[in-house]
Amino acid sequence: MLDVKEIEIFRGEAQILWRVSLTIQEGEIVTLLGANGAGKTTFLESVLGVHHPRSGEIYFRGRNISGINPFDIARIGISSVPEGRRLFKDMTVYENLEMGAYPKRARSSLLESLTWVFSLFPVLEVRKKQIAGTLSGGEQQMLAIGRALMSKPQLLLIDELSLGLSPKITKEIYETIQKLNKEGVTILVIEQNAALALRYSNRGYVLETGRITLQGSSTELLNDEHIRKAYLGM
Amino acid sequence: MYLTNGIVIGIIYAISALGVTLIVGIMKVVNFAHGELYVFAGYFSYYMSVSLGLSPLVAMPLSVFLVFLIGLLMEKALIRPTYGDDMYSLIVTFILSIVLQNLALLIFGPYPNKPPNLIFGATNLFGLFYYGNQRLLSFFISLAILLFIFYLIKMTWFGKSIRAVSQDREMASRIGIDHYRINMLSFGLGAALAAAAGVILSPIFPVTPSGSAAISLTAFVVVVLGGMGSLKGCLVGGLILGIIENLGAAYISTMYRGIFGFILLILVLVFRPWGLYGQKT
Repeated sequence: MLDVKEIEIFRGEAQILWRVSLTIQEGEIVTLLGANGAGKTTFLESVLGVHHPRSGEIYFRGRNISGINPFDIARIGISSVPEGRRLFKDMTVYENLEMGAYPKRARSSLLESLTWVFSLFPVLEVRKKQIAGTLSGGEQQMLAIGRALMSKPQLLLIDELSLGLSPKITKEIYETIQKLNKEGVTILVIEQNAALALRYSNRGYVLETGRITLQGSSTELLNDEHIRKAYLGM
Repeated sequence: MYLTNGIVIGIIYAISALGVTLIVGIMKVVNFAHGELYVFAGYFSYYMSVSLGLSPLVAMPLSVFLVFLIGLLMEKALIRPTYGDDMYSLIVTFILSIVLQNLALLIFGPYPNKPPNLIFGATNLFGLFYYGNQRLLSFFISLAILLFIFYLIKMTWFGKSIRAVSQDREMASRIGIDHYRINMLSFGLGAALAAAAGVILSPIFPVTPSGSAAISLTAFVVVVLGGMGSLKGCLVGGLILGIIENLGAAYISTMYRGIFGFILLILVLVFRPWGLYGQKT
């Protein structure tokens, strides 16, 4: 579904990613692991069209999408939950969700998507008139995911899913992610919490200082000597 | 009577200030050429109704639309290349203001002009005094425009995407909002609001090319008074300024009409620098 081929990304003059390749098959949950500053977020933003690769290509369903604008990427079915959630803080929960359905193909099924999101996160329905900035951290993360789902994405990219959340809520959200995946959404999760992310995903990649150093099935990675030392603290 | 005058003028100030606040809130661009757009609209309306013989009812919206197009063009040609650098856009709009002012002098000449009134006569208000119908009509037109803008911003997809872009531009583009288009349209809308104030007010206070700076300043005072980026602030700020100016002019001295607003501005800046409805940062 997503095929990233040897992209090189620069921010200003600094090179962030070196020949990074990654593929996601339809129906998978894939984890991208890496320490702070490894380039995970930059990678995700490149797929979203925020940064354009200096070389290499990105294909989505066979179409070359490297170099097109973020708002066009959103329209073809790739949606994202950004690091730090980045909700529209002065708008209500309802308005945030509504904005998620901005792309024209999603607008006609707005009510349907709304019911779907409320069934995944019932708390959002309770809070629907509340201003987004006043939600708790966990609720904000749910809203961010909900907003991303409103566009009926085929591919969902999630940045730092567990950041700042309690273990209990993190687990709940991961379970919802799994449920979503069964409903047909392909997912890429970026995580620092390797053990957790690998438990819920099919495959994983490890990004270290801008290069993919390891990849494999989640079980393989969980048993890998280097991963155990560097990311699982064993 | 003075109070009524203040409210009528205040509402029109609010429209003009809405134009500034929209552009500041969304694009972080201060449009110094705001007053010039007002003046251009006033002259357009004058020439269309006097020289071309169009009915003011046609000339007014047409002038506003013309300035809306000028606004779109300005954004595309001059403001867009400056994104990411507030200083450049500041200089660009400042220069634009000087250029447009002199252009107005060249084209329209230095004489004050006054488009014809829409209606004549006066109405007895509350059994207390007679008030000019033209002013009353201006009030209702302005009120309608205000309500329309509030509706636009609060209820429509366009308005919501404007708010989304002003809160987080990159995130807005990530959910599919074409922020270049939103910028262009909101700049046009800001220009159109300046123009609306221009065509409404010019039959009451004639326009001159040199009057533009005062128009911009008034709009900025209202915006700072009400709080940057706040629509409600614009309305309340406009009303306060309108009322204070008129009461001040009536009971203290007409010579100092302009100064009351600035005294108020200084007080607000000292005691509540984020404005009445603005957000503390």
